[in-house]
Amino acid sequence: MENMMHDHDVMLRMRQIKKRFGPLEVLKGIDLEVCRGEVLAIIGPSGSGKSTTLRCLNRLETIDSGSIEIEGQFLVKSENGAAVYAAPAESRRLVGCMGMVFQQFNLFPHMTVLENLMEAPLQVKKMTPAEIQPAAEDLLKKVGLYEKRHAYPSRLSGGQQQRVAIARALAMKPDIMLFDEPTSALDPELTGEVLKTMRELAAEHMTMVVVTHEMAFAREAANRVIFMADGNIVEQGDPQTFFRAPKEPRTQAFLKNML
Amino acid sequence: MEKLMETVVAILGGSKVTLELFLVTLVMALPLGLLVSLARVSGMKLLSRLMELYIWIMRGTPLMLQLLFVYFALPMIGIRLSDITAALLAFTLNYAAYFAEIFRAGIQSIERGQYEAAKTLGMTYTQTMRRIIIPQMIRRVLPPISNETINLVKDTSLIYILAMNDLLRVARTIVQRDFDMTPFFIAAVFYLAMTFVLTWIFKRLEAHYGKYDA
Repeated sequence: MENMMHDHDVMLRMRQIKKRFGPLEVLKGIDLEVCRGEVLAIIGPSGSGKSTTLRCLNRLETIDSGSIEIEGQFLVKSENGAAVYAAPAESRRLVGCMGMVFQQFNLFPHMTVLENLMEAPLQVKKMTPAEIQPAAEDLLKKVGLYEKRHAYPSRLSGGQQQRVAIARALAMKPDIMLFDEPTSALDPELTGEVLKTMRELAAEHMTMVVVTHEMAFAREAANRVIFMADGNIVEQGDPQTFFRAPKEPRTQAFLKNML
Repeated sequence: MEKLMETVVAILGGSKVTLELFLVTLVMALPLGLLVSLARVSGMKLLSRLMELYIWIMRGTPLMLQLLFVYFALPMIGIRLSDITAALLAFTLNYAAYFAEIFRAGIQSIERGQYEAAKTLGMTYTQTMRRIIIPQMIRRVLPPISNETINLVKDTSLIYILAMNDLLRVARTIVQRDFDMTPFFIAAVFYLAMTFVLTWIFKRLEAHYGKYDA
């Protein structure tokens, strides 16, 4: 019974994910579960496979072997050692349960802020502008950029662009939000506004997976921290224990450098 | 003075053929070129290779030869075309190949992140191309497309080879008849006027599509 309850609450499950780029094995068997409402921070040195792990979740990268379940349904299954993906429409539906925020924002430069938010609901969900616009405007108010709704992305600062990117992902009403180093391309003075938006999202119990170099965010906003190195999960735990008393020498060395 | 007016009117008559060939070629070659470029980037191997072959042939042989082929060689296999139809066919196929390569370069210049953002928002490949990639591509290819379009204005003069009375052939006929070079200058003014209008249109288009730049 307890096990069933637990299963119901698992939003993401990765099993033995292996992935190589040519001769380089970047993921060497990742096992990962994310529960509903959990904020998971993934940290680690560059090249450790943390971004690749995230990108495998929404099929921006295809895995070589292993399985991925999203809300209990298989995006990719392991059959006789090979990774077999769901059919395109099903795959698109499952990936659609997740919103993604990129390091480089990737806003659509030829559309205004509001159009950026409305595009996917219009095209993918076939909603009408009248249906989606109020919700899109509410999201812009939430990230504090309602006044900029008719501006083009090039007129915004990096921090503002990233907040629009978060709002754009939220406009599709995802169950899970994935963040790939969302503040790494920002000037230090602009990271705060983006982290604040993410903290607010976490406070609303959004399920989040955040690849980040922001140790303060990992420590304060995450429920669990994962440390990756060389394509493996080296250590994980709740932030208090993890940052106060890391067990593995690699984690200790990394944290010593970061803090 | 009266003779000058006569010459201008005659050349104006010739420019009708020139303009028709120019406009119809443009209207047909741009969409065709876009389709060819989409086939090239589609990832469908056979289709992509076929388009590559087509582009190689069109860019690798003179337009003049293509004109002669369509007009004189096709009748041998039973395809007989009027001079203007033959010219339109050859010009469209030739220019579509050049446009296709410009469009392909434009499409490939769009950052990967745009595709990834569209994909993670649940958009299909077709939606991504139509709504995200092609509109941004158009903005980037306007300068080279403008270039090719101005080339097209001048290439229309090649149809003299099919004995069609375009702007330049009319001018040359008068020159040869009267031993007077004025018609050549008038012809030059006509070409310059056309390229002036084109340059202005493309400038407006660039301003329109550039409104989202910083």
